[in-house]
This record gives sequence, C-alpha cells and structure tokens, in this order.
Amino acid sequence: MTFNRLRSTALVAGILLMAGPALAEPLFWSTQAKPVEETQRMREQVLAGFPGGVDYQPSDEGPWITRIQAEAQAGRGTIAVLGGLHGDLSSLGANLVDLSGIDVSAVGPAMVELGRLGTTEQKYIPWMQATYLMVANKKALPYLPAGADINALSYDQFIAWTKALAEGTGGPKFGFPAGPRGLKHRFFQGFLLPSYTGSTVTEFRSAEAEVAWNKFKELWAYTNPASTGYGFMQEQLLTEEVWVAFDHVARIADAFNQRPDDFVAFPAPAGPKGRAFMPVLAGIAVPTTAPDKAQALALVAFMLKPETQIATLRATNFFPVIATDMPADMPPSVRASAAAIAAMTGAADALPALLPMGLGDKGGQFSQIYTDTFERIVLNGQPVRAVLDEEAAVLRALMIEANAPCWAPDAASDGPCPVK
Amino acid sequence: MSETTVRRAGNRVFVAAVVLACVWVLVPIYLLLVNALSAPAEVTGFPKRFWPSFDLASIRFFLGFRGVTSALWNSVQVAVLTMVMAIAAGAPAGYALARFDFPGKQLFRFMVVMTRAFPLPLLALPLAVLFIRVGLDDTVLGLAFVHTTLALPFAVLITYSLFSGIPYELEEAALTLGCNRVQAFLKVVLPLAAPGIAASAVFAFVISWNEVFASAVLTIEHRTLTAFLLQSLDVSPLPLKFAGGAALVLPALGFIFAVRKYLFAMWGIANR
Repeated sequence: MTFNRLRSTALVAGILLMAGPALAEPLFWSTQAKPVEETQRMREQVLAGFPGGVDYQPSDEGPWITRIQAEAQAGRGTIAVLGGLHGDLSSLGANLVDLSGIDVSAVGPAMVELGRLGTTEQKYIPWMQATYLMVANKKALPYLPAGADINALSYDQFIAWTKALAEGTGGPKFGFPAGPRGLKHRFFQGFLLPSYTGSTVTEFRSAEAEVAWNKFKELWAYTNPASTGYGFMQEQLLTEEVWVAFDHVARIADAFNQRPDDFVAFPAPAGPKGRAFMPVLAGIAVPTTAPDKAQALALVAFMLKPETQIATLRATNFFPVIATDMPADMPPSVRASAAAIAAMTGAADALPALLPMGLGDKGGQFSQIYTDTFERIVLNGQPVRAVLDEEAAVLRALMIEANAPCWAPDAASDGPCPVK
Repeated sequence: MSETTVRRAGNRVFVAAVVLACVWVLVPIYLLLVNALSAPAEVTGFPKRFWPSFDLASIRFFLGFRGVTSALWNSVQVAVLTMVMAIAAGAPAGYALARFDFPGKQLFRFMVVMTRAFPLPLLALPLAVLFIRVGLDDTVLGLAFVHTTLALPFAVLITYSLFSGIPYELEEAALTLGCNRVQAFLKVVLPLAAPGIAASAVFAFVISWNEVFASAVLTIEHRTLTAFLLQSLDVSPLPLKFAGGAALVLPALGFIFAVRKYLFAMWGIANR
C-alpha cells in the first residue's frame, strides 16, 4: 500500500520536475568562491547588481570541466560565463569565445596577455588576483631574531625565528599546508626555488636548487609534523596549533576576520636571488555554447567595473585586477593582506614567479613533480642531489611533451622550456 | 574458576564490546551535533563544553544559504525515485535468478555486478552529453536513472539471496491450494520477503543520498544536497562544516530509524 502511494507521489513529482524552470538568469559556472560564505557574498553583494540577476554556481574542478566538455560535445549548453584560475581556463582555449570586444584598458598588460592563452584571441578576461603570504600570531613576534625586520626577512632569519619558537615554546610552531588539499607545490614553484635559483624550471637541478632544498629541510625540523595533513592554515592559526604559517591569502582570511588583533601578515622571505612570490590570476570566459552571448558579454564587462571589483574583493579576498582606490571600511583580512602584498610586490628585491602556463592539461603532472621532490627529500630523507637529478629528467620530458615555453622568472625560450 | 565467574567475565566482555560499539558510532555524531549547535567561536575553542550552547548562528546561516532547502528536497526526490525504480527492476530480477534456470543466468549475474566496475568520473562525460541531447539533463528523473543503475546490482543480489532463502515448497503448497502463480507470490512469498526488500530499498536510498560526482555533473539547478554541500563544504570554515555535516547525516539517520523495524527483522532480531 505505502509502496504504491510512494511510487505514485514520486512519479508525479518526477514528471512535474521534468519540465524545469525557464532559465532567464545567466549561469556563472565557476571554480572560485566555493566556500559557502564566499558563494553567498558573491550572490548577494557582487552579482545582485547585474540587471536581471545571475545564477552563480561554484563547483569542484572535476565536475566543472566535465560539464563544460559535455556541453561542448553536445553542441548545446546552459552555462553563460565561466570563472576559473588561469590554469583551469588554459586547457579550454578551443571552446572559448573571443572577447576582444571587451574594454580591458584598465587591466595591466601582462595580465591581459595571459588571457590570450598564447593565441591572437582574447580567450579570457582577467577577473581577480591573489597571492600567498606569511601570517604570524602576535605571540610569536618576541621570538624574532635580533635586528630582523618582519617585512624584509631572509630565509636564514626566518629559519632562525622558527628555531627560536620551537625551542622557546617547547614545540614546532611553523605550519605548512602540505596536506592533500594544501598548496605546498606553489611554495616550491613560486617562492623557495625562484628565491634561490631565479628560476622555476630551468635551474631545477642546479647547485642553488640543492641549497634551497637543504634550507627547506632545515626549516622542516621546526615545522609542526602534522603539517602533512594541513589544507587551510587559517584553521590551525585559529586553534593556535601553529603560530606562523604560509598560505594563500584566501585561506588565511578567516584568522584575521575572527581575531583581527591577534595576527600579522608579512611578505615571504627572500633568498640570494630575491624575494620571489607567486601572483595568482583568475579569469572569466564565455563558452561557445553559451545560450545568450550578448548577455554573457554584458556580464563579463560588468565584472570589470571598479565597484564590482571592490565588491568581489570584499566577497572573496581576491584583489582587483584594475587600479582602484580601496575604501577605508574593508574587512580586517583585506587590510592586513593588502599591506603585506604591497610590501612584498613593492620590495626592492621583489621577484614575481608566475603560475605555470602553456602546460594545458599537464598542469597537475607539473605540480606533482614538485610535490614528489618535496616528499622524497624532506619526508623520506632521500639524498637531495639524486632526487633532483631524477625528477629533473621527469620534468624535462614533461616540458617537451607539453611543448611549453618558459614563463617568468625563467628566461624566454624558443620551443619547450629547457631543464639544465 | 567456577562456571559463574567465567560467565560473569564473559558478560563483562560482552557489555564492554557493546559499549565500545555504541561509542564508536555515537561519539562522532555527538561531536557533530554539539559543534553544529555551538557558536562559531566555541567550535575552534578548547576545552569543549559537554552541552552545546544552542547557538543557532551556524545553522541559521546554513539554512539561509540559497539553495539548501531545494537541494534537500531534490535529494529526497532522487533518493525515493531511485529506491522505487531499483526495487521495481531489481526484485523481479532477483526472483527470476532464485527460481528459474535460464540460459545466460551466470552471465547475467556477472553483468549486473559489472555496472559497478566503471568509475563514475569516466561515465559522467558521455552520460552528460547523452542527457543534454535527449533533454534529461538537469532533471531529477535523469539523475535517478543513474543512481538506479548504481543501486541495481545490490537490489538484484540482495533480493536474489532473499528469495533463495524462502523454500519453493511454500509456493507449491499455495499452488496446490488454488492460488495461481501471481497470487502465490503476493500472498505467500512477498510477506516473507518484505522486510528484506525494505532493507535493500533503504540501501538504494542511501546509495543515491551519498552519490556526489554524477549529481555534480548532471544537475545544475537541481543539485542534490550531497553534491551541493560536498562541493562547497570542504573549503568552508569549521562551524559551517559541522552544520552541513549534521544536515547530511540527520535525514539519512531519520530514514533508517523509520524503517529500523524491517532492518532488524532482516537480521532476525525480535522487535516489539
């Protein structure tokens, strides 16, 4: 009896839902602003201003790309606008509409160039940017080595600081996001190696790289061993499991927003070749299967307006791609990060190391090489020279297979980026 | 040692095992609920309080999040549809496997399990393309079809062993007493098999409830709660993770609690 009733109700409900609502709002399919609070703010504070409203749907990278491929293959789609990191979008080139008609004069030319994905068409428009920073609990500041300026630390001073912390508090107090969801590979690609070698790829197995990895081993001795499980350092900063941490600005924001007076953000340390850091760029694109292209283009242009850019910053802690004045009432995380980013990007020895590009769908394998190198040298204690030689061979093969030319800070190359 | 001391020691071990099993299951759920009902500042704080402060800030934000309630409703619809379709297709197949010999029976049993051999991330792309073309894309029914395929092997194999356990003589007796085949099934076999069928239905419900990848690719406006939450929860602050975790666990717990009678009956435990 109950089964029959259930079945008929369910079938009726199913048939009613087959129809589905009419899709008037453009669908914004994004890999960014996934945490529920950010999603909520994107919808209520950023996109609510677009005439007719926007349906903002964040998604994991796997389903995100599968869905786009499915719509491209079916030749028909519901997605109007795509949002993703440079790396997410770089493999989609053929499925993206040329956005040359959008006015990008306010955006830095280097970022606009990235959006062409190596073609003559504007495949995506820069949307927002971010980077990685160091954060310290104020309790850790008294342990700073004498004479060290927190805004201009060297790796040696930084290691001395973590050593003093470990010895002074009875346990390692530096936290590093080396868990499965942590962004450890970005630290090696964009911070540690360029600081010592001035390169991410070419000098992978140089003597300077060997020095860099040995420095990191030294640092690891004063790093909380639970780091291999860490993903978002704001959690361990808030629980005070660690006092000093490295992470993406969006992944430390909660620490500042919950306890603004307890933490300071500061630039990454500098090595012999400079203060290397990795800027992160997200872009917006329109798929060729977008149902209403005019509406999609209008939404892309809307995202570049100064007030939308400021609202996006408030919502996601990603910084504007256009030069604009910061209002005074920004949340604590933004104020703390903006100051540290300014100190880092404006430092005399600043050395920007871009996210990998031109690798297409090999981006994951590329990062895996750096993760493997870390795990073999630091976690398994294998000899640095031998590991670097072996992983360099893998890296060389990958660069040739992907036919990816060098990107900054490596010197431009004809053909695939060489690994010396 | 006398016999009574041995028995008493045995009892103690038994009681300890029961307590351990209960703690094993209940403590995570308890922590989930306590943290979901605490103020965000208390979630990261230590020591924890035994009783939550019943601060509803996390829960309220969570329920106010656009799409949670409709995602919950979608999940229920998909899971119920899956349950109905899996049993409607699986129970007759299980009955046929248990009662009749037919050519290709072994192959069929093998092929049914084969559907579980292909990882969903691999199937999702061609499925999504097909669904977009035929118009099943982003519908509750389309997703329920996929989940039914996932649940079907279990439905077939559970009901197969169930019907095998009911002696054919009972049906034959019913046939000699004037029933036709359908009546014999409905009046004799079905009442005996009902608890087991209900259990495999619960199984189908839970499979659908927990499935993420197909839901995330095949639906956009009609996300199920699991797809909706797992996409965003793992990168959300702790208090929201707990609120979302509680929201995922409670309905499934409630459903299993509602049908516990049948589950216990299947395991042969008396239930008053």
